[in-house]
Amino acid sequence: MLTPSERERYDRQIMIGEIGEKGQEKLKRSRVVIAGTGGLGSPIAIYLTAAGIGVIRVIDHDQVALSNLNRQVLYWEEDLHRKKVDSARTKLRGLNSAVEIEGITETITEDNVSRLVEGFDVIVDAMDNLPTRYILNRCAIEKNIPFFHGAVNGFEGRAMTIIPRETACLRCMYRGPVPQEKFPVIGVAPAVIGSIQATEVIKYLVGIGKLLTNRLLIYDGLNMNFSEFIINKNPNCDHCGSHVRKE
Amino acid sequence: MPVKVHIHATHRQYTNGLEVVEAQGGTVGECLNDLIKQYPGMEKALFAKKGKLANIVEVYVNHASAHPNELVKPIKDGDDIHLIVMLAGG
Repeated sequence: MLTPSERERYDRQIMIGEIGEKGQEKLKRSRVVIAGTGGLGSPIAIYLTAAGIGVIRVIDHDQVALSNLNRQVLYWEEDLHRKKVDSARTKLRGLNSAVEIEGITETITEDNVSRLVEGFDVIVDAMDNLPTRYILNRCAIEKNIPFFHGAVNGFEGRAMTIIPRETACLRCMYRGPVPQEKFPVIGVAPAVIGSIQATEVIKYLVGIGKLLTNRLLIYDGLNMNFSEFIINKNPNCDHCGSHVRKE
Repeated sequence: MPVKVHIHATHRQYTNGLEVVEAQGGTVGECLNDLIKQYPGMEKALFAKKGKLANIVEVYVNHASAHPNELVKPIKDGDDIHLIVMLAGG
Protein backbone atom coordinates (compact mmCIF):
# COMPACT_ATOMS: atom_id res chain seq x y z
CA MET A 1 0.00 0.00 0.00
CA LEU A 2 1.15 3.50 -0.76
CA THR A 3 1.00 6.20 1.88
CA PRO A 4 -0.74 9.53 1.16
CA SER A 5 2.68 11.15 0.92
CA GLU A 6 3.84 8.55 -1.61
CA ARG A 7 0.68 9.06 -3.68
CA GLU A 8 1.49 12.75 -3.80
CA ARG A 9 5.20 12.32 -4.51
CA TYR A 10 4.67 9.84 -7.35
CA ASP A 11 1.44 11.39 -8.65
CA ARG A 12 2.79 12.19 -12.12
CA GLN A 13 4.06 8.67 -12.76
CA ILE A 14 1.05 6.97 -11.16
CA MET A 15 -0.93 8.95 -13.75
CA ILE A 16 0.80 6.92 -16.47
CA GLY A 17 -1.73 4.22 -17.29
CA GLU A 18 0.90 1.49 -17.59
CA ILE A 19 2.24 2.25 -14.09
CA GLY A 20 -0.70 3.24 -11.89
CA GLU A 21 -0.73 2.54 -8.15
CA LYS A 22 -0.07 -1.16 -8.67
CA GLY A 23 3.08 -0.40 -10.64
CA GLN A 24 4.25 2.08 -8.04
CA GLU A 25 3.79 -0.55 -5.35
CA LYS A 26 5.93 -2.94 -7.41
CA LEU A 27 8.70 -0.33 -7.59
CA LYS A 28 8.45 0.17 -3.82
CA ARG A 29 8.91 -3.56 -3.24
CA SER A 30 11.90 -3.81 -5.60
CA ARG A 31 15.58 -4.19 -4.80
CA VAL A 32 18.15 -2.92 -7.32
CA VAL A 33 21.94 -3.23 -7.39
CA ILE A 34 23.84 -0.55 -9.27
CA ALA A 35 27.38 -1.75 -9.99
CA GLY A 36 29.45 1.42 -10.28
CA THR A 37 28.48 4.96 -9.32
CA GLY A 38 30.37 6.94 -11.94
CA GLY A 39 29.12 8.50 -15.17
CA LEU A 40 26.45 5.88 -15.82
CA GLY A 41 25.75 5.09 -12.17
CA SER A 42 24.95 8.72 -11.34
CA PRO A 43 21.86 9.17 -13.57
CA ILE A 44 20.78 5.58 -12.99
CA ALA A 45 20.85 6.03 -9.21
CA ILE A 46 19.21 9.47 -9.32
CA TYR A 47 16.29 8.41 -11.53
CA LEU A 48 15.68 5.10 -9.77
CA THR A 49 15.74 6.86 -6.40
CA ALA A 50 13.36 9.51 -7.68
CA ALA A 51 11.08 6.80 -9.08
CA GLY A 52 10.66 5.20 -5.65
CA ILE A 53 12.55 1.89 -5.80
CA GLY A 54 12.41 0.23 -2.36
CA VAL A 55 16.08 -0.65 -1.87
CA ILE A 56 19.06 0.48 -3.95
CA ARG A 57 22.52 -0.89 -3.34
CA VAL A 58 25.34 1.14 -4.88
CA ILE A 59 28.77 -0.45 -5.21
CA ASP A 60 31.96 1.43 -6.00
CA HIS A 61 35.49 1.16 -4.64
CA ASP A 62 36.57 4.65 -5.67
CA GLN A 63 36.84 8.13 -4.19
CA VAL A 64 35.62 11.29 -5.89
CA ALA A 65 38.29 12.96 -8.05
CA LEU A 66 38.22 16.33 -9.78
CA SER A 67 38.32 14.65 -13.20
CA ASN A 68 35.04 12.83 -12.36
CA LEU A 69 33.01 16.03 -12.14
CA ASN A 70 32.48 16.51 -15.89
CA ARG A 71 30.08 13.56 -15.92
CA GLN A 72 29.47 12.03 -12.49
CA VAL A 73 26.63 14.32 -11.50
CA LEU A 74 26.09 12.72 -8.10
CA TYR A 75 29.26 14.46 -6.92
CA TRP A 76 30.02 18.10 -6.35
CA GLU A 77 33.19 19.98 -5.49
CA GLU A 78 32.48 19.56 -1.77
CA ASP A 79 32.62 15.77 -2.26
CA LEU A 80 36.20 15.66 -3.56
CA HIS A 81 38.21 12.81 -1.97
CA ARG A 82 35.14 11.34 -0.23
CA LYS A 83 34.22 7.73 -0.87
CA LYS A 84 31.82 7.75 -3.80
CA VAL A 85 29.27 5.51 -2.13
CA ASP A 86 29.18 7.74 0.98
CA SER A 87 28.64 10.83 -1.12
CA ALA A 88 26.09 9.03 -3.31
CA ARG A 89 24.16 7.86 -0.26
CA THR A 90 23.99 11.38 1.15
CA LYS A 91 22.70 12.81 -2.13
CA LEU A 92 20.22 10.03 -2.82
CA ARG A 93 18.81 10.11 0.71
CA GLY A 94 18.39 13.85 0.35
CA LEU A 95 16.45 13.27 -2.85
CA ASN A 96 14.15 10.55 -1.48
CA SER A 97 14.47 9.52 2.16
CA ALA A 98 11.92 6.72 1.71
CA VAL A 99 14.34 4.77 -0.48
CA GLU A 100 16.75 2.57 1.43
CA ILE A 101 20.22 3.29 0.04
CA GLU A 102 22.98 0.82 0.79
CA GLY A 103 26.51 1.91 -0.07
CA ILE A 104 29.24 -0.68 -0.45
CA THR A 105 32.87 0.29 -0.97
CA GLU A 106 34.29 -2.83 -2.55
CA THR A 107 35.89 -3.85 -5.82
CA ILE A 108 33.63 -6.35 -7.58
CA THR A 109 35.47 -9.64 -8.12
CA GLU A 110 34.67 -13.25 -8.99
CA ASP A 111 34.95 -14.01 -5.27
CA ASN A 112 32.52 -11.44 -3.87
CA VAL A 113 30.06 -10.82 -6.70
CA SER A 114 27.58 -13.50 -5.65
CA ARG A 115 27.35 -12.07 -2.13
CA LEU A 116 27.06 -8.51 -3.40
CA VAL A 117 24.01 -9.18 -5.59
CA GLU A 118 22.30 -11.85 -3.46
CA GLY A 119 18.63 -11.17 -2.86
CA PHE A 120 18.31 -8.38 -5.44
CA ASP A 121 15.81 -8.27 -8.30
CA VAL A 122 18.02 -6.66 -10.93
CA ILE A 123 21.66 -5.76 -11.54
CA VAL A 124 22.50 -2.58 -13.42
CA ASP A 125 25.83 -2.40 -15.23
CA ALA A 126 27.40 0.99 -14.61
CA MET A 127 30.98 -0.21 -14.75
CA ASP A 128 33.91 1.41 -16.54
CA ASN A 129 35.61 -1.77 -17.73
CA LEU A 130 34.74 -4.96 -19.61
CA PRO A 131 36.28 -7.60 -17.28
CA THR A 132 34.00 -6.58 -14.39
CA ARG A 133 31.01 -6.43 -16.75
CA TYR A 134 31.68 -10.07 -17.66
CA ILE A 135 31.93 -11.02 -13.97
CA LEU A 136 28.51 -9.43 -13.41
CA ASN A 137 27.07 -10.96 -16.60
CA ARG A 138 28.08 -14.49 -15.59
CA CYS A 139 26.78 -14.04 -12.05
CA ALA A 140 23.48 -12.62 -13.33
CA ILE A 141 22.99 -15.68 -15.53
CA GLU A 142 23.95 -18.12 -12.78
CA LYS A 143 21.60 -16.47 -10.27
CA ASN A 144 18.89 -15.76 -12.86
CA ILE A 145 18.86 -12.01 -12.19
CA PRO A 146 18.11 -9.63 -15.10
CA PHE A 147 21.14 -7.56 -16.11
CA PHE A 148 20.95 -4.09 -17.65
CA HIS A 149 24.03 -3.28 -19.72
CA GLY A 150 25.27 0.16 -20.68
CA ALA A 151 28.61 1.55 -21.88
CA VAL A 152 29.93 4.84 -23.25
CA ASN A 153 32.87 6.38 -25.04
CA GLY A 154 33.12 9.96 -26.27
CA PHE A 155 29.74 11.07 -27.57
CA GLU A 156 28.68 7.45 -28.11
CA GLY A 157 26.92 4.88 -25.99
CA ARG A 158 25.12 1.57 -26.07
CA ALA A 159 22.59 -0.34 -24.01
CA MET A 160 21.10 -3.82 -23.95
CA THR A 161 18.87 -5.71 -21.51
CA ILE A 162 19.64 -9.30 -20.61
CA ILE A 163 17.04 -11.70 -19.24
CA PRO A 164 18.94 -14.84 -18.21
CA ARG A 165 17.95 -18.12 -19.91
CA GLU A 166 15.79 -16.22 -22.41
CA THR A 167 17.83 -13.65 -24.29
CA ALA A 168 21.31 -13.04 -25.64
CA CYS A 169 23.78 -12.02 -22.96
CA LEU A 170 26.70 -9.62 -23.00
CA ARG A 171 29.13 -12.48 -23.49
CA CYS A 172 27.30 -13.77 -26.59
CA MET A 173 29.16 -11.02 -28.47
CA TYR A 174 32.53 -11.82 -26.88
CA ARG A 175 35.45 -12.00 -29.30
CA GLY A 176 38.36 -12.02 -26.86
CA PRO A 177 40.04 -9.69 -24.38
CA VAL A 178 40.20 -5.99 -25.17
CA PRO A 179 42.95 -3.72 -23.81
CA GLN A 180 41.81 -1.56 -20.91
CA GLU A 181 42.38 2.10 -21.61
CA LYS A 182 41.46 5.48 -20.19
CA PHE A 183 38.38 6.44 -22.19
CA PRO A 184 37.26 9.88 -23.38
CA VAL A 185 33.71 10.94 -22.48
CA ILE A 186 31.45 13.97 -22.38
CA GLY A 187 28.96 13.93 -19.49
CA VAL A 188 25.84 13.98 -21.64
CA ALA A 189 26.69 10.56 -23.15
CA PRO A 190 26.34 8.57 -19.88
CA ALA A 191 23.37 10.81 -19.04
CA VAL A 192 21.56 9.49 -22.13
CA ILE A 193 22.60 5.86 -21.72
CA GLY A 194 22.09 5.80 -17.93
CA SER A 195 18.59 7.18 -18.41
CA ILE A 196 17.86 4.43 -20.95
CA GLN A 197 19.10 1.79 -18.51
CA ALA A 198 16.94 3.26 -15.72
CA THR A 199 13.95 3.25 -18.08
CA GLU A 200 14.53 -0.43 -18.83
CA VAL A 201 14.77 -1.25 -15.10
CA ILE A 202 11.50 0.55 -14.36
CA LYS A 203 9.73 -1.21 -17.26
CA TYR A 204 11.02 -4.60 -16.16
CA LEU A 205 10.08 -4.13 -12.50
CA VAL A 206 6.59 -2.88 -13.33
CA GLY A 207 6.20 -5.49 -16.09
CA ILE A 208 5.37 -3.17 -18.96
CA GLY A 209 6.58 -2.24 -22.43
CA LYS A 210 9.01 -3.93 -24.78
CA LEU A 211 12.46 -4.50 -23.32
CA LEU A 212 15.73 -3.94 -25.13
CA THR A 213 16.38 -7.68 -25.30
CA ASN A 214 18.25 -9.30 -28.21
CA ARG A 215 18.70 -5.74 -29.43
CA LEU A 216 21.76 -3.56 -29.00
CA LEU A 217 20.85 0.13 -29.03
CA ILE A 218 23.68 2.39 -30.16
CA TYR A 219 23.53 6.13 -29.56
CA ASP A 220 25.67 8.50 -31.63
CA GLY A 221 25.49 11.90 -29.98
CA LEU A 222 27.64 13.62 -32.60
CA ASN A 223 25.29 12.76 -35.46
CA MET A 224 22.34 12.56 -33.04
CA ASN A 225 20.94 9.23 -34.07
CA PHE A 226 20.08 5.89 -32.54
CA SER A 227 20.72 2.58 -34.32
CA GLU A 228 19.46 -0.82 -33.35
CA PHE A 229 21.18 -4.14 -34.05
CA ILE A 230 19.88 -7.65 -33.53
CA ILE A 231 22.00 -9.78 -31.20
CA ASN A 232 21.33 -13.50 -31.41
CA LYS A 233 21.80 -15.80 -28.45
CA ASN A 234 25.08 -17.60 -29.13
CA PRO A 235 24.62 -21.34 -28.46
CA ASN A 236 28.36 -21.63 -27.82
CA CYS A 237 28.49 -18.70 -25.40
CA ASP A 238 30.67 -19.63 -22.42
CA HIS A 239 28.29 -17.82 -20.04
CA CYS A 240 24.80 -18.68 -21.27
CA GLY A 241 25.26 -21.36 -23.97
CA SER A 242 23.37 -24.64 -23.72
CA HIS A 243 26.52 -26.55 -22.70
CA VAL A 244 26.95 -24.30 -19.65
CA ARG A 245 23.49 -25.04 -18.28
CA LYS A 246 23.92 -28.81 -18.62
CA GLU A 247 26.99 -28.80 -16.36
CA MET B 1 24.62 -3.03 -56.69
CA PRO B 2 27.63 -2.80 -54.36
CA VAL B 3 27.56 -3.38 -50.63
CA LYS B 4 27.42 -0.36 -48.32
CA VAL B 5 30.01 -0.47 -45.56
CA HIS B 6 29.24 1.87 -42.65
CA ILE B 7 32.43 3.11 -41.03
CA HIS B 8 32.64 3.80 -37.30
CA ALA B 9 33.41 7.40 -36.29
CA THR B 10 36.85 6.48 -34.95
CA HIS B 11 37.81 4.85 -38.28
CA ARG B 12 36.71 7.65 -40.60
CA GLN B 13 40.20 9.14 -40.39
CA TYR B 14 41.17 6.23 -42.69
CA THR B 15 38.33 6.74 -45.20
CA ASN B 16 38.84 10.44 -45.88
CA GLY B 17 36.05 11.16 -43.42
CA LEU B 18 33.52 9.06 -45.32
CA GLU B 19 30.78 7.50 -43.21
CA VAL B 20 29.67 5.03 -45.88
CA VAL B 21 31.96 3.33 -48.40
CA GLU B 22 30.94 1.00 -51.23
CA ALA B 23 32.64 -2.37 -51.55
CA GLN B 24 32.31 -5.61 -53.54
CA GLY B 25 32.44 -9.23 -52.41
CA GLY B 26 30.52 -12.41 -51.74
CA THR B 27 31.43 -12.62 -48.05
CA VAL B 28 32.10 -10.14 -45.23
CA GLY B 29 35.81 -10.98 -45.51
CA GLU B 30 35.88 -10.27 -49.27
CA CYS B 31 34.07 -6.97 -48.77
CA LEU B 32 36.54 -5.95 -46.07
CA ASN B 33 39.45 -6.86 -48.34
CA ASP B 34 37.95 -4.63 -51.04
CA LEU B 35 37.47 -1.88 -48.46
CA ILE B 36 41.14 -2.16 -47.45
CA LYS B 37 42.24 -2.00 -51.10
CA GLN B 38 40.50 1.35 -51.34
CA TYR B 39 41.51 2.57 -47.89
CA PRO B 40 44.67 0.75 -46.69
CA GLY B 41 44.55 2.43 -43.27
CA MET B 42 41.48 0.35 -42.44
CA GLU B 43 43.53 -2.84 -42.25
CA LYS B 44 45.23 -1.85 -39.00
CA ALA B 45 41.94 -0.52 -37.65
CA LEU B 46 40.03 -3.76 -38.28
CA PHE B 47 42.50 -6.63 -38.09
CA ALA B 48 44.72 -7.85 -35.24
CA LYS B 49 46.59 -10.01 -37.77
CA LYS B 50 45.93 -11.45 -41.22
CA GLY B 51 42.46 -13.01 -41.22
CA LYS B 52 41.79 -12.22 -37.55
CA LEU B 53 39.53 -9.29 -36.70
CA ALA B 54 40.57 -7.15 -33.74
CA ASN B 55 38.60 -8.13 -30.64
CA ILE B 56 37.23 -4.63 -30.32
CA VAL B 57 35.57 -4.68 -33.78
CA GLU B 58 31.96 -5.83 -34.16
CA VAL B 59 30.44 -6.63 -37.55
CA TYR B 60 26.74 -6.38 -38.33
CA VAL B 61 25.10 -7.40 -41.62
CA ASN B 62 21.75 -5.79 -42.33
CA HIS B 63 21.56 -4.67 -38.69
CA ALA B 64 22.11 -8.18 -37.27
CA SER B 65 25.26 -9.40 -35.53
CA ALA B 66 27.51 -11.47 -37.80
CA HIS B 67 29.31 -13.00 -34.80
CA PRO B 68 30.75 -15.65 -34.71
CA ASN B 69 32.80 -16.40 -37.88
CA GLU B 70 32.03 -12.95 -39.25
CA LEU B 71 34.44 -13.08 -42.17
CA VAL B 72 32.81 -16.05 -43.92
CA LYS B 73 29.26 -14.73 -43.65
CA PRO B 74 27.71 -14.48 -47.14
CA ILE B 75 26.90 -11.08 -48.54
CA LYS B 76 24.65 -10.19 -51.44
CA ASP B 77 24.34 -7.05 -53.51
CA GLY B 78 22.68 -4.20 -51.69
CA ASP B 79 23.50 -5.51 -48.20
CA ASP B 80 24.66 -3.16 -45.43
CA ILE B 81 27.72 -3.93 -43.32
CA HIS B 82 28.21 -1.91 -40.13
CA LEU B 83 31.67 -1.93 -38.57
CA ILE B 84 31.32 -0.89 -34.94
CA VAL B 85 33.80 -0.51 -32.13
CA MET B 86 32.96 -2.07 -28.78
CA LEU B 87 32.64 0.40 -25.91
CA ALA B 88 33.81 -0.18 -22.36
CA GLY B 89 33.53 3.16 -20.58
CA GLY B 90 31.08 4.14 -17.91
